[in-house]
Amino acid sequence: MPENRIYEDLSLVQRRANTVFWIVAAMIFLALSYYWKVQILEHKKYQGLAEANRTRMRVLPAPRGLIRDRKGGILADNRASFKVSLVRENVKDEASSHAAICRLLGIDEPTLRGRIDLHKDLQPFEPIIIADGLGPDDVAPIESRRLELPELVVESEPQRFYPGRGLAAHVLGYLQEQTPEEVLARPNRKVRPGEMVGKTGVEREYNDVLRGDDGKVYEVVDSLGRVHGTTPATQNPIQGGDIFLTIDRDLQAEAERSLEGREGVVVALDPGTGRVLALASSPTYDPNRFITRFTPKEWIALMSDPDSPLENRAIRGLYAPGSIFKLVMSMGGLGSGMITESTTVYCSGSIQIYGATRHCWFAPGHGAMDLSDAIKNSCNIYFYTLGRRMGIDTIAQAASLLGLGRKTGVDLVGEKEGLVPSEGWKRKTLKTPWYPGETISVAIGQGQLQVTPMQIAAMTAMIAERGKRFRPHLIGGALEPPAVAEEPPASGTMSRFTPAEYEGVIAGMWRSVNEGGTGQGAKVADFDACGKTGSTQTMSRESAERLKRAGREVKTHSWFSGFAPRVNPKIVVTVLVEFGGGGGTTAAPVAVRLFDLYKKDLATKLEATK
Amino acid sequence: MMMIDRRLIGEVDWILLGLILLQSLVGVFFIYSSTNFLPGAYHVRQLIWIGVSLVALLLVLAVDYKFFVSLSGYFYGLMVILLAMTLVFARLVAGTKSWITLGLMQLQPSELAKIVMILVFARLFAEYKSAYLTTQHTLGALLVAGVPLLLIIAQPDLGTAMTFLAIIGGAFILAGLRKKAIVLLVLAALAIGVGGWTIALKDYQKKRVTTLINPAGDPRGSGYQVIQSKIAIGSGGFAGKGFQKGTQSQLRFLPARHTDFIFSVIGEETGFLGVFVVILLYFALLARMFLSVAKARDRAGVYIIFTASLLIAFQFLVNILMIIGLFPVVGITLPFLSYGGSSLLASFVACGLVLNVKMRRFANV
Repeated sequence: MPENRIYEDLSLVQRRANTVFWIVAAMIFLALSYYWKVQILEHKKYQGLAEANRTRMRVLPAPRGLIRDRKGGILADNRASFKVSLVRENVKDEASSHAAICRLLGIDEPTLRGRIDLHKDLQPFEPIIIADGLGPDDVAPIESRRLELPELVVESEPQRFYPGRGLAAHVLGYLQEQTPEEVLARPNRKVRPGEMVGKTGVEREYNDVLRGDDGKVYEVVDSLGRVHGTTPATQNPIQGGDIFLTIDRDLQAEAERSLEGREGVVVALDPGTGRVLALASSPTYDPNRFITRFTPKEWIALMSDPDSPLENRAIRGLYAPGSIFKLVMSMGGLGSGMITESTTVYCSGSIQIYGATRHCWFAPGHGAMDLSDAIKNSCNIYFYTLGRRMGIDTIAQAASLLGLGRKTGVDLVGEKEGLVPSEGWKRKTLKTPWYPGETISVAIGQGQLQVTPMQIAAMTAMIAERGKRFRPHLIGGALEPPAVAEEPPASGTMSRFTPAEYEGVIAGMWRSVNEGGTGQGAKVADFDACGKTGSTQTMSRESAERLKRAGREVKTHSWFSGFAPRVNPKIVVTVLVEFGGGGGTTAAPVAVRLFDLYKKDLATKLEATK
Repeated sequence: MMMIDRRLIGEVDWILLGLILLQSLVGVFFIYSSTNFLPGAYHVRQLIWIGVSLVALLLVLAVDYKFFVSLSGYFYGLMVILLAMTLVFARLVAGTKSWITLGLMQLQPSELAKIVMILVFARLFAEYKSAYLTTQHTLGALLVAGVPLLLIIAQPDLGTAMTFLAIIGGAFILAGLRKKAIVLLVLAALAIGVGGWTIALKDYQKKRVTTLINPAGDPRGSGYQVIQSKIAIGSGGFAGKGFQKGTQSQLRFLPARHTDFIFSVIGEETGFLGVFVVILLYFALLARMFLSVAKARDRAGVYIIFTASLLIAFQFLVNILMIIGLFPVVGITLPFLSYGGSSLLASFVACGLVLNVKMRRFANV
């Protein structure tokens, strides 16, 4: 800028600036006069308001919606309970107050202190919940000492109650208290600290439906925090929406009974819709035992239990599919044109492949087998030969078309994907080339293959429906998504299997159950079940054989997966029993119990419609 | 140019600087009173921020304001980028995206944008010698101010956006508004206001405006703050309840008491007497700032002094009217007194610019 600016005439703008200043000054004067009015002239009025009229908001928790089974039976209910909160602001002497509280509530001081520390960022007038799940008898002594302990607030609260005890515990999930940190992390969600929210299962998946809207009541309190009544501007809590599940309580109970004392999974699906009729994971737990905000010893015991009862094995347990995988091999063999239904392989009891001798589980050998014979007898030699022809990548494609190696999309959090190995996968993750011998292990469902029982159930449902795939789901009623068949993602050369190919495999599954095959333990009169068994080694083949030679019993995981009836299938049942031994002897009879019950159920329904 | 002359130090308005520091220390006292029972040592943090802001102010003094003005184009570009980045990267705090984290500090870029706007407007009007504003120049200035303004509205931070309007309006008043232009601007503001009310304003913001007209209509929601604040001030009476004795603030009935509502704490604990003293000090501060326009050597200097002073005056007035229920609760802090680093820094730097212009009144140094 040139130097002569200093001589510029600025008087006009300076005059305007001064004018504005005097306007500002006038406004300041007006503001001051208003402060005079409020502070001096109306002082009495506001002093009165400050002394007496202190209102506080109290939240009235909304009861959660009920969870019902497909017939309307209640799986998750609410019951009345009381909770006790501490208002720090009203504590006069901390030491004596804490001692009295601990005596009254039967808790120890470190617990109480830990609880207060957890919520130390709350305002001192905001109540901290220090005990919950109490009955009327528990809170009576507190109510009677109200005047001595103004810092304690007793409120009623609807508490979750699962009338079936551990029934469908893994489906329903459980509630836990929302911690202050979690509330801060998601400021947009209308969740308050101390609220019980679904942590797993349906309780979590449909938390937003179930939680409802909390109500509010405004209380007038005096300077000691004593309540002097409520203002009319209250908002009543709105109970959360009820949800219906596709679970059938009777089937579920039967599934859980059949697993009692064992570790394992039972999944039952309606193949034509994807509805999950039963989902049992054992061992299980009773969620009523730790529904409070406080971590009792039982909860810690459950968390650290080596049998992990909290895990939902149906969607989170990863197992080798064993001979169940022969269904994938059969579909893939037909789909890729490597075999036809009448292709035969001779089983002599053993075979030389890639320089190693491999045995069939049936040492004398099955003789000449076509595809349905091979499925019926679960012949290893047949599938070794087929695996060698197909190669690992064709096998992986077939597995992918049948939904293995990815989530089924069931409406439960934490589902695992499992693993279908392939050449590319091995090069990428293990940085080693694929060995042909590994293909042979995969051909009978061992090796790196990992599946969840839910994936096997969904796959069986897809076979039962001759290629139509419906996403498994638990939500029923009005929220249930329409049953639309899913398109499998195209993978490689195989785009989809033809209904004829499915029929070929189903023929083998039917014979397995009904013509004295490995699945004969699942035979149900007049219900035309089809299925496949599996027994999976839980250790390497070599060490298993060594132990067997030494006369030691080797327990395998046992599988059964099947559906019934053969035409117009109504139910798919997948059973996995950990260390159960042979699939035919342990898992198949479990499936029979469910087939039987469901058959009766269908019969009564038929009766009713007549 | 970069070196500060010994002669220049003598030209610094020490009284103004003293008033600023005095106000800031008064603020620290009441921040302590309203937060000492909370973890976080707010008063200590505020003291540190006062130190940081003072250093920033002195740095601003070291450089001729004309140099800042000549760089304002770059500042503007940086500011727009920073505001855009804030929108993208900032965490949502209380429903708005206005904070970015720089290492240990959290900054509100919209606060610093005010300073940039002061410089940008000084540059825009430095050569503007007509007695009245032309349509062309008005639209140009609106366009320049509009980009950052929209970015701030998008955060959404309506309080800061309003202070932007004060800067824009101040510059226009200075440049000279004809009656016709005033009518047009008022009409445009009305149109934007009505349009914004129906389209852009969130329900909670609408509530704040309706609450102003009838606070008792929603005593637990948006009216709560105003009612509690008014109770605090009114119950303070003539001499107040005493330092750290305010029941409203000590019993946490008063929300945001160390930030936007710090003046309510002063009103409750020191009564009308304290209010009068603080307002008087503020009046002296503002008078000292505004009347410095007579000492500006050029037009850019006049604009800097005027818009910076108006910025402080506007926030002060809106805040003291807001907490007593004469203005909607818009989240505008009380400069120098409210807790908050970014706001403190912006206010100090704005005053630094005023001091800068004033001390360089004898041109060619």
